[in-house]
Amino acid sequence: MDFRNLIPFSKKNIDIRRDEENPFAMMQREMNRIFDSFSRNWEAIEFPEATGPFTPRMDVAEDAKAFTVTAELPGMSEKDIDLSLSGDTLMIRGEKNQEKEDKGRNYRYSERSYGSFSRSIPLPRQVDADKVSASFSRGVLTITLPKSSAVLDERKKISVRSE
Amino acid sequence: MTDANREMTKKEASIPEGVERTKPRSVFKPDVDIMEQKDDTVLTADLPGVDERSLDITLEKSVITIRGTVAPEIPAGFRLVYGEYAVGDYERAFTLSDEVDKDRIQATVKNGVLKLVLPKAAAAKARRISVTGA
Repeated sequence: MDFRNLIPFSKKNIDIRRDEENPFAMMQREMNRIFDSFSRNWEAIEFPEATGPFTPRMDVAEDAKAFTVTAELPGMSEKDIDLSLSGDTLMIRGEKNQEKEDKGRNYRYSERSYGSFSRSIPLPRQVDADKVSASFSRGVLTITLPKSSAVLDERKKISVRSE
Repeated sequence: MTDANREMTKKEASIPEGVERTKPRSVFKPDVDIMEQKDDTVLTADLPGVDERSLDITLEKSVITIRGTVAPEIPAGFRLVYGEYAVGDYERAFTLSDEVDKDRIQATVKNGVLKLVLPKAAAAKARRISVTGA
């Protein structure tokens, strides 16, 4: 009987080393992030916080006509990303797989993360759901959410007359 | 922040002592995987927003430095209203051992992932010595 199969820590597995971080640096960064979040006001979209083991971070920007949501998804392609719109919720799903040619390779060091994720973004009222578009380039996903023309018109209709 | 969340957070690169940064932007240390196989060592690095034109790899003596510059991901005219990550350049250096054949290093970048193939020098490869019966 081959006893090696019964031992969970075979020679192959123990080579991986994880990058351990200084907990104080981590705390400081988290504090910075909290202070940063005070200075950015976010009225338009209620964004659920990133949770789970593999959740890409997202940024949201706005101009007069549209919102853009960007996410850094290195190593994924447009085929790995599934965007769907149901009602007022935009759902982003994706999976990042380890490279297939890994057989016969020994990991010496591993920092990158893999897995699947899903995030849902409740769209604000002023987004025109029919005109949502997305592009993927250099590992960055950009989703454009145009504001509906009804909302844009509403905003223009105030005129001040002199008496 | 939980341990699981930490993995997706970009880490700031450390500034070498006595060096001042001239650009007012963040520089991040990209996450890498290093794998070894029979003939080469493969280094993969996550560099979202970087393509072949904005990536600069230099080898000086035995130190290989990866530098990637990232164009702003927010389109012109937009202002950031909610931020979970910051956009910045990438920088990380590795010291290569003599085992690496420095003339045959190959680099490819696809979908924001750099793959650096570091072939082993002939002397460092494991060789099989055939035994013949006398």
